[in-house]
Amino acid sequence: MTAPPFALLQRGPEAALFQTPEGQVVRAGAFLAAAARLAQRLPAGVAVLNLCEQRLGFALGFAAALLRGQLSLLSADRSPARLAALVAQAQGGQTESGQTQGVVVLSENAPPGLSHASIQVEPRVCEGEPSVCEGASAVENPVIPPERVVARVFTSGSTGAPVPHEKTWGALTTRSAAACARFGLAAAGPVSIVGTVPAQHMYGFETTLLLAFHAPVSVWCGPAFYPRDIAAALAAMPAPRMLVTTPLQLRALLDAAIALPPLAGIISATAALPLALAERAEARWQTRVFEIFGATEAGSIASRAPSESDIWQAYPGLSFAAEHAGAEDGSVLRVSGPFMAPVALADAVEWLSPESFRLLGRRSDVVKLGGKRASLAGLTRILTAIEGVEDGIFIAPDDLDAASNARLIAFVVAPRRSADDILAALRREIDPLFLPRRVIRLARLPRNEIGKLPQESLMRLAAGNGEI
Amino acid sequence: MNQPITLSETAARALETELAHLIVEVLHLENKPESIDPLAPLFGEGLGLDSIDALELALAISRRFGIELKSDDERNRQIFASLRALAGHIAAHRTK
Repeated sequence: MTAPPFALLQRGPEAALFQTPEGQVVRAGAFLAAAARLAQRLPAGVAVLNLCEQRLGFALGFAAALLRGQLSLLSADRSPARLAALVAQAQGGQTESGQTQGVVVLSENAPPGLSHASIQVEPRVCEGEPSVCEGASAVENPVIPPERVVARVFTSGSTGAPVPHEKTWGALTTRSAAACARFGLAAAGPVSIVGTVPAQHMYGFETTLLLAFHAPVSVWCGPAFYPRDIAAALAAMPAPRMLVTTPLQLRALLDAAIALPPLAGIISATAALPLALAERAEARWQTRVFEIFGATEAGSIASRAPSESDIWQAYPGLSFAAEHAGAEDGSVLRVSGPFMAPVALADAVEWLSPESFRLLGRRSDVVKLGGKRASLAGLTRILTAIEGVEDGIFIAPDDLDAASNARLIAFVVAPRRSADDILAALRREIDPLFLPRRVIRLARLPRNEIGKLPQESLMRLAAGNGEI
Repeated sequence: MNQPITLSETAARALETELAHLIVEVLHLENKPESIDPLAPLFGEGLGLDSIDALELALAISRRFGIELKSDDERNRQIFASLRALAGHIAAHRTK
């Protein structure tokens, strides 16, 4: 490394951070110069709500806030109500601390419906060598205090109400180093990453923005949504190439008859990757598939190669403790690491060691009826294993604990099976208490763009559908 | 209505109908194909498709018509504006 620990960029000035669809290689020096120019336009003492859609613009906005010592508010949820709530929360928090600070919105286009000061970000840096760029000579690569809170991220909603989580610079930086070590990025030489996940989501933030700052990685900044986009992006980047994606897009890519250049690896996260899908991908592209396990509140914490093991191995530097160890519904994983407050995750796990665990399900998915417990994730696995069921989920109505006649609801995607069929199949495998009172057949589950199922969407569907 | 007509009206309407059936079939929509307004937006309001539908639909269009959609196509928004717009794009670019 040519930069001191905790420098904004752990890269030399000539290192390639990003590549644009126009073919421009964004080098560290030019990137810093552009970020410094943007930082000069930020009003003093405000939090930065970074709404930039493009990866490069988003990265410039984040770096500019870092250079100004300002907090970045990051949200994958762009609904107007959510954004307004974030702004109100940030302003309220600042007032409590005795300072009247505001929020400034960064975006490439005027943000719709937000009546706050906004700054337009040009998602580009100067062409050519850093020295020819305006102000480049004056730009330094500052060391950011590792204990400084640099970002506030928000849970995506699938675990309930949105909750802010603060990220220190040290936690983000050391996690990048851990990912670098885990996936052998330094040994592979500069690695090209094409990410299909938005940088505003914690997984995308870590793998497609922070890795470019902290590891020998160059990230694609153009579109990577349709299979053809992904193929073109990979082809435009030099080898070795890694694809950072989700189970949903990996399936689309496998189903499309599109050739990809050689892949050094594929990383999947956001939802469990079916083993068969991982094996198909490995066979098709002669590569290795890895999964990352993480959560907005903790970031990426573990990984595994699904074709080799179902055990999650901790990222270097993190350690796991078990809460409620020995409980029949599994333990809660408590994660500790450098520059972070220990955090307990909402998942039920089988704790194996301070460095490993098996995932059992989401702990908030544990339901109790008639003195018996069941994991909704476990019931869902049974449901989706039924022949003809393409997708499905069990949910508990809000009044499950209060109303004696309340039971679970199952949503299924099963074009060739009737609700009665499905119920009959479930009856064979599930305690009668946990059989769904309603089986709601859908064309597709309301998964959001990263493949998750927001509880509120399901409840809306449940409210809008009649009994079977 | 100043656009040049490249297909006969009959052929264009037939392609729209075929595409409507494809959309309903692939996305497992409750709508009847003939009930889709050819001028209504496919995404957001109108038919209400989302980004995952876009992924599925792109795959189906590639198989049926031999066209690979991509999101950096400047006309992407225009192409998906309505059933009629999508049918027009397919008519002009189909390879099978």
